[in-house]
Amino acid sequence: MKRELISEAVTLRLVDVRKRVETLDPHHYGELSKFVSGVKNGLVEYSPPAVPEAWLETNGDCLGSLRALSLGKSVSAHEGPQPPVESFLQELRKAALECRPFFDLLGERYRYPLNLSVPAEEAIREFILMRLMVSFRGRIEKGSMAAVDADDLLLLLNLVAVHATMTTDLRFLDALNYYYELLPAAWHPNTNHAWLLACYLGLYTRALGLWR
Amino acid sequence: MRIGILANSFPAAVRIYDEVRKVAASEVYVLLFPSNHESQARDLMRHLARLILKTGRWKSLRMILAGRVVYFGKVLDDPQSLARLKELNLDLGLHKSGTIYRRGTIECFRLGILNAHIGLLPKYRGRSVMEWSLVQGDPIGISVFFIDEGIDTGQQIVLSEAVDISHCKSLREAKQYLFDLDATFYRRAVEKLNAGIVTYQSNEESGRRYYVMSKLLQHVAQENLAVSDRQSAIGNRQ
Repeated sequence: MKRELISEAVTLRLVDVRKRVETLDPHHYGELSKFVSGVKNGLVEYSPPAVPEAWLETNGDCLGSLRALSLGKSVSAHEGPQPPVESFLQELRKAALECRPFFDLLGERYRYPLNLSVPAEEAIREFILMRLMVSFRGRIEKGSMAAVDADDLLLLLNLVAVHATMTTDLRFLDALNYYYELLPAAWHPNTNHAWLLACYLGLYTRALGLWR
Repeated sequence: MRIGILANSFPAAVRIYDEVRKVAASEVYVLLFPSNHESQARDLMRHLARLILKTGRWKSLRMILAGRVVYFGKVLDDPQSLARLKELNLDLGLHKSGTIYRRGTIECFRLGILNAHIGLLPKYRGRSVMEWSLVQGDPIGISVFFIDEGIDTGQQIVLSEAVDISHCKSLREAKQYLFDLDATFYRRAVEKLNAGIVTYQSNEESGRRYYVMSKLLQHVAQENLAVSDRQSAIGNRQ
């Protein structure tokens, strides 16, 4: 792998993403305006988290954990039993077939989002990446942003971004690159969790930092 | 061996037809399908126009009179198309359409359907695999394998060989160069199958599925291609 060429490209992209983050207006994000301001002010150097070797539990929820990770903070967790992968994957596939949102399913499983990087979660990671890069991408490119559930899309992007901060598998970072190029710069989703856009951009800068 | 080229476009199929016909004791057919339910009449007109304008009138006429062009009025998975495919009693299919095949279609061919994929299997499955190979500093190549219902997951790889693209100046040129080699690779695969000398490589699950690449990494792939071009030029001078 020509690491220096990737590093040069990533450095340029990082500058660009920071500029886009600067354009976010915290006032558009209601009670989470403080968090969005935090993302704008918090794009500082940080040490990427370590890949958890086993499943971890946290007392918080997925969205709160994502906000913390996006700001470069750690999330406290303790060891817990790994929930079954295959039956969850079946649920995701069923939801996809029935065009139901993934938001609650994924939010419940990944209350500690770093668990997505646990080795045993590989099949779910691949499924999430595939949904983003085939189904969601296809619908957006054939139609428009309105063709997908924005909260679903943003949650998938955030989870992929969390994994991208910890892996050398470039496909995950490149899914973020692709969506950064695909999403209109001025896009502001009119949804319950619009702040996930700022969260994704914060995590994206951290994932890019891994390759700089 | 009775071989059917599954295609949505006549000129693309004819390149393969010309090459595969060179294999001894082969009987080759071009099977033209509409790309979707809505495009049947439009596709028929398009095929007729291309038959005459792009392929050469006499050659097209000869192929039609010899019964080597079979036009299917319905899409590939339609029961009528499947029944007609079975009647043709074909040994092997060659993929040159924009279709993902269902089991029923694959089973219409005694041996199965071959696909020429512009990536080295089992490592590189999916989209933009030439670009991904460049970014990751791996050899570029073509694999011919028997299709199943997944994306480049067919278990039997007939051929998988590296191809030098260092003379290509752009990603687009390199990709076209690889696509244009499909006829040659299909011929070589058919020769191996015909001679019964195939040692299948297993398409085990060690590889990854790749997806369409961002502009950011395409730029890196282009840079890597330019580097390999310079290295090749230096190598030629020495």
